[in-house]
Parts: sequence; C-alpha cells; structure tokens
Amino acid sequence: MTDFRNITVIDHLRFDDHDTGGGLHPESPDRLRVIRDRLSASILNPFITHIEASPVAREWLLTVHDEAYLYRFEEAALAGRLDIDHPDNQICYESFEVAMLSASAGINGIDLLESGKAQTVYCNIRPPGHHAERRLALGFCFFNNALIAARYWQRKYNRRVLVIDWDAHHGNGIQSGVESDPGIFYVSIHEHPTFSFPGTGYAEETGIADGKGMVLNIPLPPGASDAAVLSVLNDSIAPAVKKYSPDAIVIAAGFDGHQLDDMSGLAYSTNLYAKLGVYLNVWAEQYCNGKTLSILEGGYHLEALAASVEAYLAGLAATKDTQ
Amino acid sequence: MYVTNYMTTPPVTVMPDEIIVKVKKIIADNHFRHLPVVDEKNVIVGMVTDRDIRSAYPSTVLLDEMYATEVVKIDNSQVREIMSDIVVTLKKFSTLDDALILFDAKKVGAMPVVDNHNTVIGIFSVRDLLQAYRRIFGLGEKGGALVAVKPDGKKRPLTRIAHILEENDIHFSRLVRAKGRDDSDTETIYVRVNTMNIHAVHAALEEAGFAIDFLKPQS
Repeated sequence: MTDFRNITVIDHLRFDDHDTGGGLHPESPDRLRVIRDRLSASILNPFITHIEASPVAREWLLTVHDEAYLYRFEEAALAGRLDIDHPDNQICYESFEVAMLSASAGINGIDLLESGKAQTVYCNIRPPGHHAERRLALGFCFFNNALIAARYWQRKYNRRVLVIDWDAHHGNGIQSGVESDPGIFYVSIHEHPTFSFPGTGYAEETGIADGKGMVLNIPLPPGASDAAVLSVLNDSIAPAVKKYSPDAIVIAAGFDGHQLDDMSGLAYSTNLYAKLGVYLNVWAEQYCNGKTLSILEGGYHLEALAASVEAYLAGLAATKDTQ
Repeated sequence: MYVTNYMTTPPVTVMPDEIIVKVKKIIADNHFRHLPVVDEKNVIVGMVTDRDIRSAYPSTVLLDEMYATEVVKIDNSQVREIMSDIVVTLKKFSTLDDALILFDAKKVGAMPVVDNHNTVIGIFSVRDLLQAYRRIFGLGEKGGALVAVKPDGKKRPLTRIAHILEENDIHFSRLVRAKGRDDSDTETIYVRVNTMNIHAVHAALEEAGFAIDFLKPQS
C-alpha cells in the first residue's frame, strides 16, 4: 500500500501578486498555480497539511541583505519601477511585500520543524531566491530565501546546516553568502558556468578563508541527464555530506534542469526528481531525525515543473514501505 | 588589447652585478619566476629565472663541506654569470596577440615590456595573458550565459544577430565568430548574453531563422 509521511506545504496566494509583466517572462504566477493544482489532485493530497506563510522579523533578512538594499528595492516597487538592477528582475507595486513573505516561508518552516509540528516541509514560493546577493537582485531573485532560512537555522537553533541546490543554475547568492562561513556547507549541481547563467560555480570554487572547503560545486555539461546526477550524488556528494555530518538540511529545489525546460541545457527526467527526493529522505533519516526544509527555486516549463515537484515530494515523503 | 593594459608595473629589476643570494631572495620573497636584469639606465640587458638560480647551485649529493664551500661561492657570484643575455621583449605598442605568438614561438614564461629606448616599463607573463583574455572573453563574469549559434549561410550573420538581440532588448557583451580546430570545421558564432532568460534569447534567434548549437560534449 502507498504510504507517505505528512508533508507541510507553506504557500500563500499573495505570491501570485508578484507581476513579472507577462509575455515571455518565464517566472510567472502560473508556476505556483500548476503546482497547487497538481498536488490537490495527487495521491499525496491526503498527506498534505497546508500552512500559509507569515511575515517574519526584518532582522532575519538583514542577516543576508544590507538594509540599504531593502530600502532601495522597496522604493523601486512603490515608485512603480518596472525592474530593479536588470530587466530580468521585473517588479510591480506588490513585489517587495511579496518577496518579504517569500523570504519568510523558510523561517516559518524551520519553526514548525524545530517545534515538532512538521517533519517534511516544502515552501511553494515565488519569487525565487538563490541568485540574490547581499545588495543585488539577479536572475529573477530578490531575497535569498534559502540562505535566509539557512542563517536562521544556524543562528537561532545552532544547527550545522547543509544547503543542497540542484536548480539548473548555480546559486551564486548562496555561495557568496557562505563561502567564508564554516557553519554552512553549500553543495550545488548545475549546468556548467561556461555555458549557463550566472557564469559562476566552477568546480575550483571551494570556499575562501575560514570557509575553505565549505562549497562543493558540481558543474555538468549541456545534455547531462539522470545518470550524471546520480553518479555525482554517489561518488562526490554523499561522501562530502557524510564528512560534514549536518544536522539540518535545506534543499534549494529548482526543477529547471528538466529536459522539457528550455531555460537550461540539462536533460533530467521527472523520475530523477523522485530519486532526489528519496536521497534526501535517506539523508534526513541519517542526519536530521527525518526533517528537511525544501524551498522552490526555478522550474519554468509548467507541466514538467508540476510533475517534478510532485515526484520529488513523493520520494521525499515516502515511508520505508513505499521506497 | 595592448600588453601595457595588463602588464605588471613598475617591474622589479636587478642589476648585473647584484649577487646571486640577493637575487634568490627577491625571487623567493615575491614568488617570481622571472626577473629582468637592467643597467644603470634601466635598459634591459638580461633575464634571470628561478630555474637559472636552481641550476646555479651545486647538487646536494656533494659532501657537506664541499657543498658549503660551493654555495658560498655561488651566493657571492654576480647574476650576470647566470642570466640569459638574449632577451625576448615586448614593446609599448605590442598587443596581446603579439604576446601570445611570442610565448608560443620562444617558449618563455614572461617578457619585459620596453619603450623605444629599451628601458623596462613592465613585465608581462603567461599568467597576465590568461588574465587578460579572461577579462576580454568574460570568463567567470556574473550574470552571463554563452549562446552558440550556427551561421545560416546568409550574409552578415553577426550584424543580424546583434540587431535581433538589441531589438529584443537582450543585453550582450561579446559576439565572436570562430572556426573549430581545423579549417575544415564549420564556424560557430558565440554570444555572451547578460540575462537569465535564455528562453527569450533562443526564441528571438530561432524566429529569425538561426539554429542554436546546444554545445553538448562529444562522447
């Protein structure tokens, strides 16, 4: 019989209010709508608890971003500007408030995990975050949701945090935030930076100063498929994670490596995401009493995104009988 | 594109009568591999390398007493005894391409850059060349992605690609048309775009009739 652990999905209809102008802009509100529709019709649905995201104290965003940047972003949105820092980063009047809420979702999830009220948390949020830097919006990202969550978990609960990121694009914002910090280990599997935005994430980048060795970049060539990912998981990532021995895991869950998603040259199948879910399921049991926090990053082919999120959550929440 | 834009200046130099032990310390302290040797007017007269220094010293296989004696002798010899006096130089107006050609032809690792009077104004190494090309081609620049396009056989593809990107408000910083390793290889046009929205880039180029080369590695 199919059985799953409870999955807490943190979401909010307010996320749909971040208007990126429509047209050819891939980061659209439909991304969350298709995921919601898919999960509500899924065999996972009976196991899902829905929680609305709620804003957290601004001080937690300031662990990652400068206050001047927050003011600049807020002002740009309220002044009716159409973008900030680059035309990719389309905004509307609501965008600052929505991005603050998006950045809060991971913290909401951590509090649930730490209080024992949740075991598997998935944040269905937008705008995404892993390209955002201390004072720069980049690649559709404004606040670094996953890094804010990781910092909170590290500082509030004194956790040894692993951030694993399999979005097709390197999380430059997460790396620049942790590369000198020995308390967070960042692992990223992404399309090779020679070819792919943002052009960072070479294997040679392993962290600096006190954070030397705290970054593991695994760039893959265009066309890389499931076998390449599973190979690096087994051969490179699993041993590194074992050596680091985290007690908290944040997953920067991007789904734009899917073969149908033309925002990258990677060629993953939907099934790979199910397998990634299983991997994290096993690691969670091994290191973190079964607890994980997943935060949506990229994924722009709507059907592939919805299917991949469902597959991932199924793998992540599968009980031993189901695996 | 000039070496003067990327060279190390002012260069550290020594004079021919400098003793080797001091030259050895300069090279070690600064992590150099090459040091120009100049006269009192700063005119280039030779080059000494870390390899020249190592070769000058006796083998450690020698008996201790013999070794010590030889080391003292070498320490106090002048660098003119071990330097190369035929020096390949770059000029003030030399380009990165000149440097590349000379590095390849002369098999040296660094060259002094001299003015019209042969006085040394800088030093330019292979590492400097790599850094220069890195900047020019945007390697590691944040916010970029590489798109490869197959020429469509029609005239002026670069002009048309630039036009398409600009009309679609797609920021780009480099546009290069390059052949493969052999002249028989087909050309590819590379453009470094400064956008995450690669979907829009592909759509604009494909609508104009270009085919994207997805640059998968050959198995």
